[in-house]
Amino acid sequence: MDNYTAIKIDQIGKEYVIGGSVSGDLRESFNHRFKSLFTTEKKDRFWALKDISFNVEQGDAIGIIGRNGAGKSTLLKILSRITEPTVGRFEMKGRVSSLLEVGTGFHPELSGRENVFLNGTILGMKRKEIASKFDQIVDFSGVAKFIDTPIKHYSSGMKVRLAFAVAAHLDPEILIIDEVLAVGDAEFQQKCLGKMGEVTREGRTVLFVSHNLEAITDLCNKGIFLKNGLIESTGTAIDSVNSYMRSFHESSEVLQRTFPIKKGSGYITQARFVTDKKTPNFEYNDKISFRFEYLLNEDLPDAELNVDLCRGTEKISMYFGREMRPGEKSIKGLNTVELQLPVGILNKGNYYLNLALHDNYRQFLDIQTEALSFNILNKHPRYADHMIKDPGVLNLDPFGKRAE
Amino acid sequence: MSNTPNRSELIVVDPKKRKSFPDIKELFRYKDLFVVLAWRDLRVRYAQTFLGLIWTLIQPLATLAIMVLIFQRALNVDTGDVPYVLFSFAGISAWTYFSFVFKESGNSIIGAGEMIKKIYFPRLVIPLSKAVVGLVDYAVTLLILGFLMIWFSYSPGPAILLLPLFIFMTIICSLTFGIWVSALTIRYRDLQHVVPFVVQFGLFATPVAYPTELVIQRIPKWASILYYLNPMAGVVDGFRWCLFGGSPPHELAYVSYLVIAIMFIGSLYYFKRTERIMADVI
Repeated sequence: MDNYTAIKIDQIGKEYVIGGSVSGDLRESFNHRFKSLFTTEKKDRFWALKDISFNVEQGDAIGIIGRNGAGKSTLLKILSRITEPTVGRFEMKGRVSSLLEVGTGFHPELSGRENVFLNGTILGMKRKEIASKFDQIVDFSGVAKFIDTPIKHYSSGMKVRLAFAVAAHLDPEILIIDEVLAVGDAEFQQKCLGKMGEVTREGRTVLFVSHNLEAITDLCNKGIFLKNGLIESTGTAIDSVNSYMRSFHESSEVLQRTFPIKKGSGYITQARFVTDKKTPNFEYNDKISFRFEYLLNEDLPDAELNVDLCRGTEKISMYFGREMRPGEKSIKGLNTVELQLPVGILNKGNYYLNLALHDNYRQFLDIQTEALSFNILNKHPRYADHMIKDPGVLNLDPFGKRAE
Repeated sequence: MSNTPNRSELIVVDPKKRKSFPDIKELFRYKDLFVVLAWRDLRVRYAQTFLGLIWTLIQPLATLAIMVLIFQRALNVDTGDVPYVLFSFAGISAWTYFSFVFKESGNSIIGAGEMIKKIYFPRLVIPLSKAVVGLVDYAVTLLILGFLMIWFSYSPGPAILLLPLFIFMTIICSLTFGIWVSALTIRYRDLQHVVPFVVQFGLFATPVAYPTELVIQRIPKWASILYYLNPMAGVVDGFRWCLFGGSPPHELAYVSYLVIAIMFIGSLYYFKRTERIMADVI
């Protein structure tokens, strides 16, 4: 490993066993041992990552992109040493900080001040270091007035700001950062992006996972596009974003997605198509409907689920929760929302939905990007007689009249 | 920002060259973390309780009261020159620490699941921090023991010099059980229910409320060996000998010390083996 390489990754792979008896109760385990004496059971295994090799030079800012389930998070977890690769090896040189979440270890009963020390230590800072940066951290967070109040009395926004303030004062040589920008309000997200830009300009090595393609091209010089656990392409950030966008034209298979349980006030539990079809591939004049479910752990009557309809990197239309269930408030517990797209309006192409759950104060509770994707297989007959390859995104009715 | 890459630390991850024993040097670098985690536990434990730290006293004193009632008053257990209150409180102080660390460690890894899934640190820090939290209660009970000895004007013999050794042994023994149970609970969640039972059973299988001789004299040799397979039996014997003098622990007490040594080393190996899958299975 030469002096200018920060990370050297060699043939990394991670295999998971699905439904295997890694954890269970004692009886289950004995049963399993007993059975395995007589049968050779085949476990379901799958490779979340395979054959991942690349080098990161010092000062590189690498954007890692890919669809949900492509292995981005697994890769970050391995490089953060949270989990071990099944095969392969990697070397890293320098002080590493990984931020897969803001506010790890925060305890509601403790004051803001105590949580800064707690969280800072968990992130790898020394006590003295935190003490010397304490005033800066509090300044940056903007919650100075409440610093001695237990954080259970903080709003979710205040908690996130305090947590990010701690993270922003880490002083790593290598920074590994997951979609932490997906929380908080727009102003906060801008602040985060600004800080990220600073970090990369200072010449630190950064690995950054995001669905925000604009942020990737702004902040990163190189990109890695992961697809189904493999590296699909590497190159400049812009090249990778482009090949990622091209991949949207391929067909999709999934009719229903169930999302993992999250802590906090609420999260999106499920998204699915309401259809008889086996795959989400539709004719131009098919009725396309969706059903979404979200769970609220608190009473947040004004919480709503907003849906963005997108193609490529463009948002085509946006639907508000209050339009999908007019006059209805959200309840504590499971909420269901249905959405039907206007028939015959979308042209041939691949589309996807981004979901965002907001609370009364316009804070994001949860975000699911590319929650569902679908294809429109054919053009509107209006274009059928023409040799037009790309008739555009929308098929709006013509109402021209002859010019006098 | 340092421009001298050669001096930065090099991290190598290679599943083929996995170490089988925890990296003690690394653990030492993370000492701030277990201090801060121990401190958090302590702060949170008494944050909203009315009596706060007084709870630390109530449990051992209540146990003492019941022991005096049953073993001294009802059964008239003979503890020689040592006043029964002193005798049993010595046992209770060591046992209370042991049971605290053992119980707290049981769910510790699962309880810290969110942290384990989001950040790297040597996972051994978690059971270790439980052993550190327990030290506060342990120190308080030892202090009370000191006061009781002054109250009864009981002066210890020269063996008192070995007291730190036996306090250390109590800590290691408790930590050993803590490490084992914290790692095993990940695979076998049932163990959470076994721990309280073991603690309850152990209180009577260990010479906390009665002198060991009382048992040893009345059972055959093989049963005595079995009795000392309980590591806390030898520890409590030795602890009491340091405080009150008399005859040194029975020769079979060395069985206990050997069991501690083997189990302690074993616990570190087993923990290391489990450590790498922790984030995946919690």
